Amino acid sequence: MREPRDAGAVRAVLTAPLTRRAWARAAYCLLSYVPALAGFLLVVAALAVGAAFTLTLVGAVLGMLFLVAGLALARGLGALQRLLAAWLLGERVAAPPVVSSRGGLFAAVEARLRDGAAWRSVAYVLVRLPPATLGLYAVAWWVVGAVNVLAPVRWVAGQHDLRLMTPLPFGGEPALGSLGGAFAATAAGCAILLVAPWLTRGVVAVDGRLVRALLGPGELTERVRDLEETRALAVDDAAQRLRRLERDLHDGAQVRLAALAMSLDMVREQLDERDRPELRRLVEMARDNAAETLTELRDLSRGLHPPALDGGLADALTTLGARAALPVDVTVDVPNRPTPAIESLAYYCVAELLANVIKHSGASRCGVELSTGDGTLRLRVTDDGRGGARIADGGGLAGLVQRARTVDGELTVHSPQGGPTTVRVRLPLHA
Amino acid sequence: MRVVIAEDAAVLRELLAQMLTMRGHEVAASVADADALRAAVAEHRPDVCVVDIRMPPTHTDDGLRAAIDIRHELPGTGVLLFSQYVETKYATRLLAQGSAGVGYLLKERVANVAEFTDALERVAAGGTALDPEVVTQLAGAGRRTEQLSALTDRERDVLTLMAEGRSNGAIAQRLHVSAGTVEKHVAAIFAKLGLPVSEDDNRRVLAVIRMLQRDPWE
Repeated sequence: MREPRDAGAVRAVLTAPLTRRAWARAAYCLLSYVPALAGFLLVVAALAVGAAFTLTLVGAVLGMLFLVAGLALARGLGALQRLLAAWLLGERVAAPPVVSSRGGLFAAVEARLRDGAAWRSVAYVLVRLPPATLGLYAVAWWVVGAVNVLAPVRWVAGQHDLRLMTPLPFGGEPALGSLGGAFAATAAGCAILLVAPWLTRGVVAVDGRLVRALLGPGELTERVRDLEETRALAVDDAAQRLRRLERDLHDGAQVRLAALAMSLDMVREQLDERDRPELRRLVEMARDNAAETLTELRDLSRGLHPPALDGGLADALTTLGARAALPVDVTVDVPNRPTPAIESLAYYCVAELLANVIKHSGASRCGVELSTGDGTLRLRVTDDGRGGARIADGGGLAGLVQRARTVDGELTVHSPQGGPTTVRVRLPLHA
Repeated sequence: MRVVIAEDAAVLRELLAQMLTMRGHEVAASVADADALRAAVAEHRPDVCVVDIRMPPTHTDDGLRAAIDIRHELPGTGVLLFSQYVETKYATRLLAQGSAGVGYLLKERVANVAEFTDALERVAAGGTALDPEVVTQLAGAGRRTEQLSALTDRERDVLTLMAEGRSNGAIAQRLHVSAGTVEKHVAAIFAKLGLPVSEDDNRRVLAVIRMLQRDPWE
């Protein structure tokens, strides 16, 4: 049973120099040497100059710009290396997140200096030089092997001062005095070519580890990305479930209750008041119960998913404002609709905030403004009441803060004693 | 009267048809979606149709859109919208073309078949039938609370019934007072709200609704 496997191993060893993968690895070693060497020198120079200037304090600004340039160069080299690895090795490594910063030049410089991915790229550029040099050496084995294999051809072509080339730094280069010697060189060249793929393979394996460890998004970043994705799915799924539940209630229980109440009223009409007054009263009671259950069910299912939200936040908030017990100015300027989950979150924020205004503020009127900008939905609820609203543990506002946090949103309250109160909510356009 | 019923829930559709037939009305067609409603109205030319707002195909406001089309193409046809929710937006859109032959009731009002039929007959005859909830919301949407607060409780009851589309006689019966008392209340309401006095029920309803919808801060 062992024989076929051994035969397979032998074949693998013998054909190794002829596979596409082996050639691609050799090409990778060859192509990535120049950027590795040049990158090493440039990055080291930029960082050294930058660090030196920064330490002098006088040239700190210039020094930081050098540092930023060095970091950017390292990131660029990392990107190039990822491209080469994807193209020649089939090794696809996700790019780390780009640096984003709000504010002026200093904020941008600071964000770049704090960019962990760029510093990991620097580490890669520094660590990379030895394996890159080894890679170049491994490529030399390929070249030397090929030159030796071709020795008889060169002999026949009239080149008689041949020497055996070796990739080893010792042992010298013995002269090949005859055609027989040239064929011996071919044998030696074949042996060298059999070894060469394993050298490039080893170098590439080391480099692949470095690329994955230092040029990828990093384990935490990847985990965060993963969690963000699954959280968005969970949030959207929850919103969709509530909506389906509301639809089922609307098409099912609510319709049946309406039909029940109607039938009971038709029965009541058939009963003669004088003949069976107690029976008529019973039926009347049953009808009223059915009607009241219907009203309660309506309020309940409006709480699950207000149907007006299907038409967008403008419709839903207008209705909400109209139902409130005080005058509400509703302004909605949302050209791009957020996802349903965000819409319903925004809706419940307004509903809860309006309820708070009515219950606690003593306000005479209230404003609700909704707008978008910078990929966020901005909600502002103002009232002219007595103020003093706080985000207290277990309170309604704290609950809203929690709900906003489930999608990375935030809620801030500005409510001095004596008012007025402004509550701002910022939500992403999608979970 | 000739009625077309459009309601996607079979239980309610059949029960409505049965109830109306028992009361001596003719149910020309009962259909389950907005397109079938348009076709049935074009074919049967009913006096009035009962229309569920949320119907196939999209299950949003298909019924409302069909109702607006019908009132545009066959202005004499009464339309009673029938929904589980009151949405200010729907009411405003429906009333944008006037209040004659228009109704908007919550579904739970079928629990009183006599009143429901009464409302339907009013709409068929070119009158108005608005759910008290619709009136409350329109008042909220128009934010006329300051002017409304000048009214007495009794006057506010009368105003609500008026906005629902009821005549003075019906209001008097409902509140167990004489027609003369109602007339006095109505005059006081019109004076306090600055509305033009009108004997015509529809113009009266329209005036009240316009007043309720108007935005004092615009």
